[in-house]
Amino acid sequence: MVHQYKLGEYNIVIDVCSGSIHAVDDIAYDIIELFEEEDRNTVIEKITQKYSVGSDVTAEDISECYDQVAELAAKGRLFTQDIFEPMAGELKEKTAGVIKALCLHVAHTCNLTCSYCFASQGKYHGDRAVMSFDTGKRALDFLIENSGTRRNLEVDFFGGEPLMNFDVVKQLTQYARSIEKEKGKNFRFTLTTNGMLIDDDVIDFCNREMSNVVLSLDGRKEIHDRYRVDYAGNGSWERIVPKFQKLVKARGNKGYYMRGTFTHANPDFLADIEKMLELGFTELSMEPVVCAPGDPEELTKDDLKIVMEQYEKLAELMLERDAEGKPFTFYHYMIDLKGGPCIYKRISGCGSGTEYMAVTPWGDLYPCHQFVGEEDFKLGDIWNGVSNVRVQKEFAGCNVYAREECRDCWARLYCSGGCAANAYHSTGSVRGVYKNGCELFKKRMECAIMVAASRLLAEKKGR
Amino acid sequence: MKHIETIETLNLCESAKNGGCGECQTSCQSACKTSCGIANQTCENTEKN
Repeated sequence: MVHQYKLGEYNIVIDVCSGSIHAVDDIAYDIIELFEEEDRNTVIEKITQKYSVGSDVTAEDISECYDQVAELAAKGRLFTQDIFEPMAGELKEKTAGVIKALCLHVAHTCNLTCSYCFASQGKYHGDRAVMSFDTGKRALDFLIENSGTRRNLEVDFFGGEPLMNFDVVKQLTQYARSIEKEKGKNFRFTLTTNGMLIDDDVIDFCNREMSNVVLSLDGRKEIHDRYRVDYAGNGSWERIVPKFQKLVKARGNKGYYMRGTFTHANPDFLADIEKMLELGFTELSMEPVVCAPGDPEELTKDDLKIVMEQYEKLAELMLERDAEGKPFTFYHYMIDLKGGPCIYKRISGCGSGTEYMAVTPWGDLYPCHQFVGEEDFKLGDIWNGVSNVRVQKEFAGCNVYAREECRDCWARLYCSGGCAANAYHSTGSVRGVYKNGCELFKKRMECAIMVAASRLLAEKKGR
Repeated sequence: MKHIETIETLNLCESAKNGGCGECQTSCQSACKTSCGIANQTCENTEKN
């Protein structure tokens, strides 16, 4: 299967199953489009006809180009067949019972009350609560006990607002560090925060212990303050931006993401990316809002058209900034074409409910943070492990080939079947397909691949 | 005349031979939290050639 598109100054052709990517001229682009449908003579005839007026393309050019396409097809770099389906369940089977990451909900409460919050202002449609040290400690022990031979263990301190339970975050980190060596493990901690409680102590701690921090900022002040308000209704932008700047400056080369949400209020989110850049941040992420259908924040069809254009403009901006020596990172455009995940990972689907789980302040286990509060999806708890085997099995069975709609999708080996929570919330089934999400994802991948290809070609030319 | 510039990429068919160690990160654990994708992940297999 081949996917081809034109973006910026490039004609890009992706050979989906081999992972090959080609930047091609117009003739090759047209030949590839016809290659599987027609024989050599017909293709050459049609292309010759197309370029007969007003171009200096010769019959020799066309014939030569056809042969180059045919050669790539013979080498398995174009029109490669999908032979991976029998391997789809292998990775999950091999690692069955192994948990490698936990999202610790250390605080089901928040000091902001953002109406668009998927976690209903941190409460997840339940009671306010904070996790005790004992519960958190048991969660870490549970992770170690169930991690098999896996060395790297990921723990995200999440909420609500995790810094509202900062003492427990510190104690849990200290506990994990005290046992990781003897257990043969390496904890990678991350923390997601709205920034309100950042102070020097938090900055020192995060920069010492957190491999990544996710900082919530929606970009422009008026956009951010529209939703991200405190209980008195005051916007938080003025208070958090200087704190984020201080933290990032002190962070040196350690990872962080400035993460924003875009909604119906700002489908023109590129202006928010530019604001983040203006504030000195370079590791950026903007995500489409996750909300119930009909919510005022929901992106409309017209909004989605704007968002698609914004993604293209964002790609152009990245290349412009590269040329100016002022590069920045956009989370969804990070793609390592030379490396990246192997085919097993690409087809095995999201690890939610199997290798990744969320833990509530009370120690209950859910397939991921986006299912917390959905009682039917409760998997068990950290003392007794997974008891809801039926639900876990449903998640274990999620892979690229589990959804009919994914089978013919060119982006399937980049998304791995998509997000089970998005699927559930939009269709009522974790095996469903969140169509708007798919369209956005495909556009992001087209842009990401174009940017990466452009960078690699520039590198090649420079050599 | 060169009509096609092939960009160096990981060969997915080849990766079937030495992949599948499972050390890589979980899908949206560390950054986005609301939209899954694996394209931006790093391979953590230290045993591969």
